[in-house]
Amino acid sequence: MMRKGLLCTIMAFSICILSSCWSSKELTDLAIVAAMGIDKTKDGQYQITLQIINPGNVAGGLQGGGGGTQSPSVSVYGAKGANLVEASRRASSTVSRRLYYAHTNLIVIGESLARTEGIDVIIDAIDRDPEFRITSDMVIANGVKASSFVKSLTPIDKIPANKVLKTLELTEQKWGEHMKVSAQEVMKNLESPGSQALMSGFGIRGSAQKAQTLQNLQQTAPESTLRAEGLGMFKDGKLITFLYGKKARGVMWLRDKVQGTDVNISWKDKKKAIAYQVVRQRTNVRANMVNGKPKMIVRTRVEGDIGEIEVPVDIKNPFVILDIEKKIEAAIEKEIKESFMFAQKKQTDVVGFGEVVHENYPRQWKRLQHEWSDVYFPEVEMDVKVEAYVRRAGLRNKSFMSDAVKQRQ
Amino acid sequence: MEKVKISSMQFFILIVLFEHGSALLIPLAMDAKQDAWLAILLGMFGSLLLYLIYYGLYRYYPNMLPTEYMQKLLGKVLGSVLAFLYLLHFSYAAARVLRDFGEMLLTFGYPDSPLFVVNAMLMLLIVYTVHKGLEVVARAGELMFILMYILAVAGFVLIFVSGLIDFSSLKPILEDGIWPVLKTVATQTLYIPYGEAVVFTMIFPYVKDPKKVKLVGLCGIVLSGINLAITMAINVSVLGVGLTNRSVFPLLSTVESIRVADFLERLDVFFMIALVIGGFVKISVFFYAVIAGLSTLFKVKRPSALTYPVGTVILFFSLTIASNFQEHLKEGLTIMPVLLFIPFHVVIPLTLLCIAFIKHRIKKTKALQPS
Repeated sequence: MMRKGLLCTIMAFSICILSSCWSSKELTDLAIVAAMGIDKTKDGQYQITLQIINPGNVAGGLQGGGGGTQSPSVSVYGAKGANLVEASRRASSTVSRRLYYAHTNLIVIGESLARTEGIDVIIDAIDRDPEFRITSDMVIANGVKASSFVKSLTPIDKIPANKVLKTLELTEQKWGEHMKVSAQEVMKNLESPGSQALMSGFGIRGSAQKAQTLQNLQQTAPESTLRAEGLGMFKDGKLITFLYGKKARGVMWLRDKVQGTDVNISWKDKKKAIAYQVVRQRTNVRANMVNGKPKMIVRTRVEGDIGEIEVPVDIKNPFVILDIEKKIEAAIEKEIKESFMFAQKKQTDVVGFGEVVHENYPRQWKRLQHEWSDVYFPEVEMDVKVEAYVRRAGLRNKSFMSDAVKQRQ
Repeated sequence: MEKVKISSMQFFILIVLFEHGSALLIPLAMDAKQDAWLAILLGMFGSLLLYLIYYGLYRYYPNMLPTEYMQKLLGKVLGSVLAFLYLLHFSYAAARVLRDFGEMLLTFGYPDSPLFVVNAMLMLLIVYTVHKGLEVVARAGELMFILMYILAVAGFVLIFVSGLIDFSSLKPILEDGIWPVLKTVATQTLYIPYGEAVVFTMIFPYVKDPKKVKLVGLCGIVLSGINLAITMAINVSVLGVGLTNRSVFPLLSTVESIRVADFLERLDVFFMIALVIGGFVKISVFFYAVIAGLSTLFKVKRPSALTYPVGTVILFFSLTIASNFQEHLKEGLTIMPVLLFIPFHVVIPLTLLCIAFIKHRIKKTKALQPS
């Protein structure tokens, strides 16, 4: 009898426990933060801007109406604070739901914050918080405040944060001037004396004010759009400058991050006459010690196809292909060298050579590491060799041009 | 002594799960930086020797618990006191693991729940299991072993597939020479987790096939050592040295980094299950040792009657041993090894073995001499 009573009591108690809703939050009580922008205000506080998903406006209803709904798919709230946690907690005075950071995939850092104070200070909050994922990607708002960047609306992808991430991913695969970096990778680079951080810049083309309105989306060609602009170079956690175009791609080659891109070479008199599409590449960086000074050996192996020929050239001839390959090699080598020299001029090892020296010559690295960026890196010699292979040339052999031009003559 | 026997397979599983326990979750051997895996493997070899000491003692007294043969070796009073100290050590160890477990769940999963509730839930389960006897613990272990391995293999494959592993983080090997590694071995990996295998001296007499105790135990330690080394190597190669060192639970961060095909991500539950299984087995084994020891020491007829009171003690112990998690870790990783592990895991067993050896020699010579 006693036993039965005890059993019943235990079972009755477990009802309270089994529902396991100690700190449960209903989905309708959560504000899902898709992106967070961080700026520094004039009075030295942090301004965070939170892009919160409007669930009702993302799903279903929108598909029929296109851009024609009454309210945008995200709402943006902001708050100030002496640090990120304070700002985030203070934001509760404007938001009606609990801020939920587990789905925050994008962190946008204002350019001026990145330039003046650096990103070291804001990393810890992201790193420490159990809800925030360190796999979130980071970008710098190029030329605008992070707050106006986060407020911008985008067509096609309803959630601007997703649009930014997808664009970054696509351009990294196809064009190779930008890099998607997670907070985790940024931290790795910030910690290591032999490697400086790189982060893609993202800017608003057109008016930042316009980008925040739904009217902007109701045009076939929105006046204001978000686009990847520049690759931010850091030194000791502070943004130094943005790399654009080939300089950015050169760094990407050296970091072995190029997945696919397009290299143009000149043929005879015509500039950029042949387009070479990179299918895969592998860049290997080694270090050699010569008289106590490191010498970097860079070997790049590129494979790809010919995508376009704008001059009459007979690529049936393997020797012509060899010639083309040589020119491609020279073009890529030039890119690599130029960005390397630029990095040396800026005295920041964004290409991660220091880390290579560290791995291969740990003992000598002890001596070099303290002044690596300022003294040793700018003097490092580099030996680059690119091997480029043309594997295919699409569906046609001879260029259409070669016949057409002949007939006209 | 309880009249149960566990098979050698069950014994093997208990050892493996026990060694994994909390060691899988913490930044083990990170003083050795990227050579942590090496320190773990070296620590493992050292611990094989320790295991042989424990086994040697068992060989002299195959049917007795340490709490009993300590009295034989050192005399009634001294032996009892020492045995009691061991039991205190085991209950402290159980409380520590329980605290680890609770802190981990609170840190990343249940920030609003009180520690007491989380710890009490697990302790309740463990008390119930141990109340039912060692066989139940062993069988539960068998079930969970399969689950743990499926998860481990799946996690391993996913980490590989998502291309997270960057082996260059493991280089340069032996950056500052072998000394930092050896130092880490001497101060940490020799005792955590392997030294804690001293608790298995309390389990030895229950193994069905005494001949296999040696082989099975050594295999268990080797397997878990290899697993731990692989885990740490993966942690470092995914997160890098700095982040691994900074993490309270590197494995959690590693698992969180998994992103396969944009939909297989945020697999925190993998970590959670490993944590619960490891915690459960480790606390159960310690707790069982305490119960078995107490019942022989104080001649309690029904050992299972002790489970509820002692369980409550361990539960409250786990709440009071440290005022915050950082203090708890500091105690566990730097103070415990010197203060508790070296005497209880190395010095005392070795001394006991020497005494047993001498005593048996004397006995033998006496037996040989015609009187």
